[in-house]
Amino acid sequence: MSNLSLQLEAGQVLGLLGVNGAGKSTTLAMIAGALTPDSGVIRIQGNDFLEHPELARSAIGWLPEGAPLWPELTVREHLLAHGRLRGLKGANLNQACDAIIQKLELNDLQRRLAGVLSQGQRQRLGLACALLHRPALLVLDEPANALDPVQVVALRNLLRELAANGTAVILSTHQLTEVTAVCDRVAILHEGRLRHDAPLHADQHEVLEKTFFDIAMAGRAQAA
Amino acid sequence: MTLFAVTRLELRRLFVRPFGWVIAALALAELGWRFALLLQFFLLSQVQLASIPDGPGYTDIVLIPLLSSFALPFALIELALLIVPLLTMSSLASERAAGTLPLLFASGLSATRILVGKYLAVLVWLALWLVLALAIPVSLAHGATLDWGKLAAATLGTFLALAVLAAIGLACSAFAQHAAVAAVAALIISLTLYCINLGAQRAGVDNGFINWLAMSTHQDNLMHGVVSSADIAWFLLAIAVALALGIRRLASDRERG
Repeated sequence: MSNLSLQLEAGQVLGLLGVNGAGKSTTLAMIAGALTPDSGVIRIQGNDFLEHPELARSAIGWLPEGAPLWPELTVREHLLAHGRLRGLKGANLNQACDAIIQKLELNDLQRRLAGVLSQGQRQRLGLACALLHRPALLVLDEPANALDPVQVVALRNLLRELAANGTAVILSTHQLTEVTAVCDRVAILHEGRLRHDAPLHADQHEVLEKTFFDIAMAGRAQAA
Repeated sequence: MTLFAVTRLELRRLFVRPFGWVIAALALAELGWRFALLLQFFLLSQVQLASIPDGPGYTDIVLIPLLSSFALPFALIELALLIVPLLTMSSLASERAAGTLPLLFASGLSATRILVGKYLAVLVWLALWLVLALAIPVSLAHGATLDWGKLAAATLGTFLALAVLAAIGLACSAFAQHAAVAAVAALIISLTLYCINLGAQRAGVDNGFINWLAMSTHQDNLMHGVVSSADIAWFLLAIAVALALGIRRLASDRERG
């Protein structure tokens, strides 16, 4: 990734598209604070969080691709550990855990070890960890992977609800239908450059598909 | 403090894994057997020992050799040379393999806090293990005369040695991609650091620097009840160097991805 420039408003849902190797996951990891960029600025709510990494703790929730988990911890222990790492404690932490467990329907899984969860359950737990501290910016890398159709619809509804409450969401996915279903803006990344950044309406699936393939095929033709 | 959130998370991971308990239980069983042998020797030689003015007592014959001695394998510190690398091998290497390390970075924690947080968790586990091991000989304190000063110095020496081994283990885990590689590297480095002077002496070299470099030199003083600031400084220096290397490696992980 080399020259991306993005600005996101509160309540916006941005779909980040790109072929494999375009730099989507790297971009999201940088925004989430997991990776330090060589140069550039990342501001959240006006603050440069490369200078104040602790800001990432409370302002950003991140679900990395594949939802990595500690296999020896139970679902609830995971949520408690994430909450503590994000600065929650005491009664606030327990309330936040109970609320997110209810919201993502994890009640029956609370005592189950993360290591034995199905991929869909892992995704839900990863999403719960990302949402636990009510971040202002939610960064999701392929969140619909391994979810069944019912869970996909539930995820879409959840993202719409979060956006309506003022949470900004960046959603990276390979599935164009996911983008047209929930995003109100789409950005297409190719070889580290932002090739397209525009508002999106629900009926623009075919236009988006054509734009995406034009950019991807032009890139391949150039490479050839 | 988020440093303690990492410590708590790591402690939880250490305590729920059966591996840690199994090796601790096996080690304590071996130490129990060793204690029985040492106690038998002490009881058999009590009459002879009583005739020696200022001769060795229960602390010298039973307690100290339980913690560290090459005369009868394996004392606690010799077991620790194997156990600590096994305990620390997955601290960072398996986090890297499972992809959970970026989750810690994303929570705004510096490499220093992550490593020190994990180090504190390992120290708590090792301190518990040391307390359980010491409980075996100290349980006879009502029937024997304990030299509490010497016991305190030996306990300090053993704990500092465990702390150095833990720092080396964590540093190796920070560098390695695989937990098994981290364990082997930590075992080799720890063994070398522990007895580098013995090999040199066998080869006819009795060098002051090599003796200073060896952990056993500094630990032996403490095991004999001699608490010297120079020895304690050596342990702290070794811990600081190992942790600094681990922190440097972890910080480069965040930069390189």
